Amino acid sequence: MAWKPWQIGGAVAVVVVAAGLGVYFGTGDEGGPTPAANPSASGGAAAAPAPIEVAVTDKACEPETLTVPAGKVSFRIVNKSQRALEWEILKGVMVVDERENIAPGFTARLTTTLEPGTYGITCGLLSNPKGTLTVTGGAPAAAKPSVLDLVGPIAEYKVYVTGEVEALAKDTEAFTAAVKAGKLDEAKALYAPARVHYERIEPIAELFSDLDAAIDSRADDHEKKEADPGFTGFHRIEYGLFARNSTEGLAPFADKLVADVADLQKRIATLAIPPNKMVGGAADLIEEVASSKISGEEDRYSHTDLWDFQANLDGAEKIVDLLRPLTRKADPALSDRIDKNFATVDKILAKYRAEAGGFETYDKLTPEDRKALQGPVTALAEDLARLSGTLGIS
Amino acid sequence: MAETPPRDPAKPEAERLRSPGRRNLLLGLGAVGGGAVVGALAGNAAAAEKPGPVADGAKARQPVYGRHQSGVATPRPAAAMIASFDVLATTKDELRDLFRGLTERVAFLMQGGTPPSLDPKFPPADSGVLGPTVTPHDLTVTVAVGASLFDGRFGLAGLKPRHLETMHAFPNDALVADECHGDLLLQICSDSPEANVHALRDVVKHFPSQLMLRWKQDGFAPPQALATPAGTGRNLLGFKDGTVNPDPLDPAAMERVVWVQDGQGEPAWAVGGSYQAVRLIRHFVEAWDRTALQEQENIFGRDKATGAPLGMKREHDEPDFAKDPKGERVPLTAHMRLANPRTKGEPAHRLFRRPFNYSRGITKAAQMDMGLIFICFQADLAAGFITVQNRLNGEPLEEYVKPFGGGYFFVLPGVPDKSRYLGQPLLEA
Repeated sequence: MAWKPWQIGGAVAVVVVAAGLGVYFGTGDEGGPTPAANPSASGGAAAAPAPIEVAVTDKACEPETLTVPAGKVSFRIVNKSQRALEWEILKGVMVVDERENIAPGFTARLTTTLEPGTYGITCGLLSNPKGTLTVTGGAPAAAKPSVLDLVGPIAEYKVYVTGEVEALAKDTEAFTAAVKAGKLDEAKALYAPARVHYERIEPIAELFSDLDAAIDSRADDHEKKEADPGFTGFHRIEYGLFARNSTEGLAPFADKLVADVADLQKRIATLAIPPNKMVGGAADLIEEVASSKISGEEDRYSHTDLWDFQANLDGAEKIVDLLRPLTRKADPALSDRIDKNFATVDKILAKYRAEAGGFETYDKLTPEDRKALQGPVTALAEDLARLSGTLGIS
Repeated sequence: MAETPPRDPAKPEAERLRSPGRRNLLLGLGAVGGGAVVGALAGNAAAAEKPGPVADGAKARQPVYGRHQSGVATPRPAAAMIASFDVLATTKDELRDLFRGLTERVAFLMQGGTPPSLDPKFPPADSGVLGPTVTPHDLTVTVAVGASLFDGRFGLAGLKPRHLETMHAFPNDALVADECHGDLLLQICSDSPEANVHALRDVVKHFPSQLMLRWKQDGFAPPQALATPAGTGRNLLGFKDGTVNPDPLDPAAMERVVWVQDGQGEPAWAVGGSYQAVRLIRHFVEAWDRTALQEQENIFGRDKATGAPLGMKREHDEPDFAKDPKGERVPLTAHMRLANPRTKGEPAHRLFRRPFNYSRGITKAAQMDMGLIFICFQADLAAGFITVQNRLNGEPLEEYVKPFGGGYFFVLPGVPDKSRYLGQPLLEA
């Protein structure tokens, strides 16, 4: 909630994320080539498995076939040929990992993580026959996404967040204009639709805790509750419109909300979304649902909680959608379970969609459906909390 | 620290109780229970008394009289109850009666004894929760007062301790008015929740027209052993809480950190007392249990299993933050680092923590309502709790915790002997 935001220059943010991803993943390299005479210098990683030694002569690899268990594996490559070489592990034509520029007489270490399967290894000159590397299954380390795998999803997520903030600003303008014009019914109708944009990107918005408090705090957060001067934002206006049934005195809150949302939009524009914030965001959104939306405590004056409920789900599902190819590869069962629970929750909520758009009020939710939502929501919270670990993100 | 002499099964109990061990002296004097004993405790015996549970189960007791009240520099027992009251007395005389009476009840409850038996046509004198004879169970009842006691009602406005104020909300707080503040706070601790319930019911029954309960919260904690170095208890987030704490059994440390001294600019009556900050802090344990271990550890800055600062081996290893200026080992936002940045000139301790965990019902969203009764004592509230909490504002831990109640109080100085009462120097100032 109150982390220092990662503010990096505007338009280049996505590029910066890509460049910075190395920070979040181990690269597997442990330094450059070392003289063969001093192999221990390539040590350093005491925890790494004992290296598999491969010598490369002028004609071939020795041995030409290797078998290793899946997961983290370390190779010690000894260049016994007359020329500098690069040693590659290949899957078809794709280079899975490589160690470049090993001088004659030198040794290099390569540590990498391999999934089960059959790979080729290069052995000096391209005309030399390739060796075979068999990686056996058993307990494969979860396939962690590579650095580049996450760049696309993060860039797309940034586009999604930016779009939601734009819509938030636009809809908040319309909502507050109605408030200030004293159009009570119109303001009431515009309240929930404006909020959903905020609720969809709540984990990102909450990176700015000062604005989150100003825009979205509830009366509970303040000692004097509704009368507290610190109580501002959507719920303060909601209180006026729905509990007091009046737009009177709301103009200052309307102006402040517009200003705070504009500030949020400005800050998000220059925000580089770190991978852990995007991936963890799915879990954060479901925690929101589990802790307050499911009990109808969020929109206690308007009872529009189901709008927020769906918006939190939408935001989480967006993240899950963007990551699905990676999740599916790393843990298909987890991916299936998440999808199934989202479907269950969406289906129950769909019963409460109103004809005019949006949702019925929270009090229409039957105790049976309220209970039926609890299980899948809690299971989603547990499963989504495993997403970062599954994808190997710190 | 002296310990209970080894038991000699051949020695009769009465003789053992007469042996000169300081705690046994107290035990011996109190063995028959009742008010007469209390007088005998006045003076030297009590003054020499140091806090600490004796290994005698239900009969163990803590000193009633002395320079300071028990329950502060007393090793933390297993059970606590924090009860805040509004004072209904309307005049200074009534307030004096209340404090006199309260002092008597506290002495009886802490010493133990047999309540009078009454004609069964009447309600009994005692709740009977501890049986026909009240056993002390290491009970301490620590009496503190809130800023509101110094309003116009009792003519005490000019005597308020200088830092005592109504607790204001920090940015992450969501204070519930019904669980905050109060004129009078009783911190009731013992080795048994029943003894705490018994004590509270005794007080409530004795002062029907003078006290009204405002809020209360039960707590529990891994008890701290007497002679062995106190193992640090864990909070309900599973982390050790209170690693960097002055030793409550080191009187010099307690004088420096906890007790108000002469020359601090405090009213004379307050010397020997202490500021007490109480914070009821809910922990969002479901969400916490769904948080990656490395994130949990980065939030606290400590290894969850050992309690060692990240990158170190043992709980009490001292991190050198000067060598970690970017927070690569212990993040700059880690709880332990914000609370105590270990910069030059920063005192080793600003406060003494004596917290308890709590667990009560569930929320409307079917989530567990549990967390911490944070309690700390200090000689200067502004330089102590308020300074540290201001440093913590905005910490990543806030995502998982929500302070909702508590308040600031001032622990009255101790009662020197049976002829005096709690708060006497204040009320007769």
